[in-house]
Amino acid sequence: MFRTMNAVQQMARRSICSSARRQVENKVPQKQKVFQEDNGMPVHLKGGSSDALLYRATMALTVLGVGFTLYELVKASFPQKKD
Amino acid sequence: MAHQAHAYHMVDPSPWPLTGAVAALLMTSGLAIWMHFHTTTLMSLGLVLLLLTMYQWWRDIIREGTFQGHHTPPVQKGLRYGMILFITSEVFFFLGFFWAFYHSSLAPTPELGGCWPPTGITTLNPFEVPLLNTAVLLASGVTVTWAHHSIMEGQRKQAIQSLTLTILLGFYFTALQAMEYYEAPFTIADGVYGSTFFVATGFHGLHVIIGSTFLAICLLRQAQYHFTSDHHFGFEAAAWYWHFVDVVWLFLYISIYWWGS
Repeated sequence: MFRTMNAVQQMARRSICSSARRQVENKVPQKQKVFQEDNGMPVHLKGGSSDALLYRATMALTVLGVGFTLYELVKASFPQKKD
Repeated sequence: MAHQAHAYHMVDPSPWPLTGAVAALLMTSGLAIWMHFHTTTLMSLGLVLLLLTMYQWWRDIIREGTFQGHHTPPVQKGLRYGMILFITSEVFFFLGFFWAFYHSSLAPTPELGGCWPPTGITTLNPFEVPLLNTAVLLASGVTVTWAHHSIMEGQRKQAIQSLTLTILLGFYFTALQAMEYYEAPFTIADGVYGSTFFVATGFHGLHVIIGSTFLAICLLRQAQYHFTSDHHFGFEAAAWYWHFVDVVWLFLYISIYWWGS
């Protein structure tokens, strides 16, 4: 009888543990392996293709932004026609 | 692989200083364009670029420190100096606004009625919500210290709990202050009283939001096992910043809310 009770107790404990909280796994050693790989990539691109995507988007905004600023400033430098 | 014969960090070439500088250009020009032509496109673009820069730059620092091991003791020392110097510069920033407050309040002009608070201003009762806010921030100073000790002792769950509590207290302060702003019987346009009150407390509130965000990042990092019991400088920097925010509030409370009422 006690063996069954023990088994039930253990099962109850196990199911409460796994359902009440998601266990966060320690992924640091994996990350350390990825970022210490001798592949010559700079740190801002070393994480993979999502890094490259985000970098390209940021750079595109940067170049467009400089262009847009120069356009707005040149436009603002000339007298505006008022109707 | 070439190995360095020194303990310092020679960083990889990075595009983020450039994108950050362009973000500053866009935000400042955008501000001027907004003021003259009422369009916010340029400024918003600058803000987006700033957020992208901050995210990627700080992500890279975490990679360099936690994943690549570049944050040796001398490098960490430099980071500590850097954070201390930055906080010092922020102290001077607030000093200016306190100077403005004391300049106007110690010798109130005839236009104000020759008195402080000026004639017609209904001040907030310092012993109501402002006192609660003081208690909230002081409590958060205790919880952030508790979090630090938990990290140093390797108590993972306690560290997460106390850090979460600290952040919640920060949000509570912000919510209470937002409500106070909404309910206040005076506005920023109400003479020098309104200006000094809202600019000083407003910049403080912004720093509470920045500090809470920094602590929230630390919470995510703590959950992902980034911090060890003897190497967790990111958290220490956040805690220093949080204590600074708390001290600024104490000065604000005593000067503007209490003495100034």
